[in-house]
Amino acid sequence: MLAEGLLKKHVASHSLHEPEALIVYISILEQQARYGDALEILSGKLGSLLIIEVDKLRIQGRLLARSGDYATGADIYEKILELCPDDWECFLHYLGCLLEDGSSWSNGVHNDPINPQKSVDCKVSQLPDEVVHIYYPYILYVVCIFCCTCILLADLFMTFYADFDFCNLDVQFHSRISTSLAFVKKLQADTSDDFIRCPYLAILEIERRKQLHGKGNDDDIVEALMLYFLKFGHLASFSSDVEAFLQVLSPDKKTEFLAKLMKTLDSPATVPTKALGQSITIFKIQELTGNLYKLPVLELESCAVQMVKMYCKSLPLSKDLDPQESMHGEELLSMVCNVLVQLFWRTRHLGYFIEAIMVLEFGLTIRRYIWQYKILLLHLYSHLGVISLAYEWYKSLDMKNILMETVSHHILPQMLASPLWGDLNNLLKDYLKFMDDHFRESADLTFLAYRHRNYSKVIEFVQFKERLQRSNQYLVARVETSVLQLKQKADNIEEEEDVLKNLNSGVHFVELSNEIGSKTLTFNEDFHSRPWWTPTTEKNYLLGPFEGLSYCPKENLTKEREENVRRVVEKKSLLPRMIYLSIHSASASLKESVEENGSKSGSKISSELKFLLEHHAKMLGYSLSDAVEVVMGVSSGVKSFEAFGSDEIDWINFAVFLNAWNLNSHEPLQPDRDQCGRGIWHVVDTLLVKYISEKIKSMESLVCSPRVDLPILVQLVTEPLAWHGLVIQSCVRSSLPSGKKKKKGGSMDQHSSLVLNGVRDSIQSLCDILKEVAKWIRGQIDRPEDESVENILSSLRKKEQDEGPGRVFHVLESLIPSINEAEHGGRICQELKTWSALDVARKIVTGDSTLFSQFLNICESKIKSFQALKQQIAQI
Amino acid sequence: MVCIRKATIDDLLEMQACNLLCLPENYQMKYFFYHILSWPHLLHVAEDYNGRIVGYVLAKMEEESSECKGHITSLAVLRTHRKLGLATKLMTAAQTAMEQVFGAEYVSLHVRKSNRAAFNLYTETLGYKIHDVEAKYYADGEDAYDMRKQLKGKQSHHHHHHHHGGGCCSGDPRPMGARPESKSEAKAGTKAESKTG
Repeated sequence: MLAEGLLKKHVASHSLHEPEALIVYISILEQQARYGDALEILSGKLGSLLIIEVDKLRIQGRLLARSGDYATGADIYEKILELCPDDWECFLHYLGCLLEDGSSWSNGVHNDPINPQKSVDCKVSQLPDEVVHIYYPYILYVVCIFCCTCILLADLFMTFYADFDFCNLDVQFHSRISTSLAFVKKLQADTSDDFIRCPYLAILEIERRKQLHGKGNDDDIVEALMLYFLKFGHLASFSSDVEAFLQVLSPDKKTEFLAKLMKTLDSPATVPTKALGQSITIFKIQELTGNLYKLPVLELESCAVQMVKMYCKSLPLSKDLDPQESMHGEELLSMVCNVLVQLFWRTRHLGYFIEAIMVLEFGLTIRRYIWQYKILLLHLYSHLGVISLAYEWYKSLDMKNILMETVSHHILPQMLASPLWGDLNNLLKDYLKFMDDHFRESADLTFLAYRHRNYSKVIEFVQFKERLQRSNQYLVARVETSVLQLKQKADNIEEEEDVLKNLNSGVHFVELSNEIGSKTLTFNEDFHSRPWWTPTTEKNYLLGPFEGLSYCPKENLTKEREENVRRVVEKKSLLPRMIYLSIHSASASLKESVEENGSKSGSKISSELKFLLEHHAKMLGYSLSDAVEVVMGVSSGVKSFEAFGSDEIDWINFAVFLNAWNLNSHEPLQPDRDQCGRGIWHVVDTLLVKYISEKIKSMESLVCSPRVDLPILVQLVTEPLAWHGLVIQSCVRSSLPSGKKKKKGGSMDQHSSLVLNGVRDSIQSLCDILKEVAKWIRGQIDRPEDESVENILSSLRKKEQDEGPGRVFHVLESLIPSINEAEHGGRICQELKTWSALDVARKIVTGDSTLFSQFLNICESKIKSFQALKQQIAQI
Repeated sequence: MVCIRKATIDDLLEMQACNLLCLPENYQMKYFFYHILSWPHLLHVAEDYNGRIVGYVLAKMEEESSECKGHITSLAVLRTHRKLGLATKLMTAAQTAMEQVFGAEYVSLHVRKSNRAAFNLYTETLGYKIHDVEAKYYADGEDAYDMRKQLKGKQSHHHHHHHHGGGCCSGDPRPMGARPESKSEAKAGTKAESKTG
């Protein structure tokens, strides 16, 4: 009201001169639901500020619809469509006006431009309300009939609704649908432009609306789909155009539609690129409807062979294209990869997986700019465990600026569990720098918009900035950057303490952990480009058994993700503080025994650490005492590791911090056992040793199966083992006879000696297990390269007629000799000369070595640190 | 089903994704903001049926010139949505706004010498003419054609006189060096290029 008053005053004295000012004025009136006033201003003198006619008409249409004047609104939208016949949004508004469906103008703004809501979703979800509304009297009637005591009441209802005119509703719907059909047909006739799809797709939308209102049928939709296919089936956009309409068809009708599509292949289009486009579309529709994945293994394999043959055949069509231009039939190799990964999931035959890699590497040899292939490869290499190669491909995508917010989800989660600390550090640093720079520059940019009098953009810009500030990824990156620093310095307690000092001893992160539940987070990641087998960062179907998943939808899993992110941040942000307290708890335990009366700070540390342990246990779903039971049970072998579920790292971290707390605690861990203040060294050691050995054993053979356990092994060594190492370092430092820590009389009390015995054993067993890991890693690195290369290639050497992996690869390999400059053009010919499957296999082996070398460095540094501790402790 | 509409700030996320998928070069986010916060009328996106951004045009008015001229900074259309005339529609939308909102007399753009598809679009469909050749304009050392097209000019130019300072259409001088126009800045990889299919 105040804003309106001020504006009115301004208009009276100075009028308005900028279109933006008018837009703000209208929006103020609109927010007060004063649509009539807004319309009046728009059609008056001030309206001439909006120079572009359709811009003005769009506002007019929206105001009319929101005011409930649907009839005039429909007329306005007709006008817009006549000017812009390809404006799909406008067509939906037009239909909305005709059918008096106000849902698209409701105040609820869908604020997720990255995962936009499909119109079909909102229409379908809105349908039950309509059904309930229309059939309300009937539903009540039926309910009442079934309730004998209410028969009278039921009759009463029927009398009450006797006037409800269903016939009239039908007639009205029918007439309006006819109006829209006639208008759309006219649009079709008036547009000579072959590119304009809207008036043709509009027919499908009208059929869908009819069906939603119970007035249409699947046959009409199938027929409309076929007509649309005949006109636009060769376009790459066809399948995404019709996706929403396919969803409303029954499975039988989908199959029928597919059969009709297949029939069109009998008489393909005469223009080769058009025929190719149509064939690709048919494959895509098979993929989309799930029919492709219902095929038995052999047929599915044949399908991939068919696709790759089609790709080879289509290569000459691209002979004159620039390298920057996408080639005809490029999507085929992505589809082949999808099929091969599906075959791997079903059969667990790694050959298919390697074949998928080869197919994409082949495609990138011909043209190195295909980002779809790069993203698929990135995920294939990640799953295979060769994260160094995955990161190489990620780097080749050259993600910068805001893309770090929307696209880095492809690599960041895998990197967090990898030994490639330098690369991870760069990734996190670049991202945080970009975000922080943006926040710093925001004030200047806001001012820029003001100076240009673009007021509506000021609001948009501020909202956008807030959206980035609340980004879940931004939060995760901040926490993970600190955790990474702690991991990197964990072999040297003094350096670790410097890191902790810079993190204010982890206090802020504890606050963050406490607040995370009430924070509003935004999810700006673009998941559309993720492959089917890992639709979000949390899901990877390939890790589980084949589920017979016939259709791999990119579900909107934001809610599930949100819970997961909160949980991860809540847990991870406790780490710095728990590490800090553990170091101090360990030293206090020894100091206290030395200083006899104990210290005040020691008990404060103990109570805070206990509080955090309780919190940690709660996050794992247990009370502190029950969590202690679980840890003891697994360590003693009474319970299996499965008791930890997928939170194994968190559980072992918990055991590490529990030991540190127990060192300085006067409470027994378990009521029936006396373990006050001596720690549970053996429990932690056993857990670490058992778990690490198990993981090594599971990965004995290199690239025979994807090494999904490698990230866990890396985490075990770089997290719980590292934190445990810090507790040990703290104990040893406090026991050293130097400076203030000098012991009275030089003799050691029983408590200290018990603790130091635990420390000694711990150092020994950690050193031993780390040597085991290092030995295993060396075994991987030292394996003869040729042997590993041969392992990879042997799974692909098949003849075409044989079943199993290798058939697709064979088609590609047999293409090479037939490549010639006249048919394929100089560029393709030249590029293909560089293709070598052997090189790709060698690259995988080298990538493996890089990864292992980095991991070996980490292990060796830890071994060295433990050996130094061993020497120090020997002097005590 | 493609709606050509004015860009919003939230569209940036997908516009930059388009840029990644279509262009070998990328520009800084503040460069995008410099455009949209200064001349929001000149930024248009092509939105597909399912709400995805499949193309965009980024344009601006020249601020340091006495002539009233517009400049197309970047044009991109996803490969899946090429050959649908979207680039033409996006360009027309930007040119119309330059002409009608700012009274631009002509519009210029740069295009890689090797980009035949884009060159054909600009010359044959949209009526641009080569004005000059800029040697080594792009970061990788490729030359660019400086192309121009005459617009109708000031006939329906309504409100630019209310802005302060600068050339014909400017609101204010550019901010924070956000405009990587010079060759040296282009070499730093911040220069966008026009490309279409």
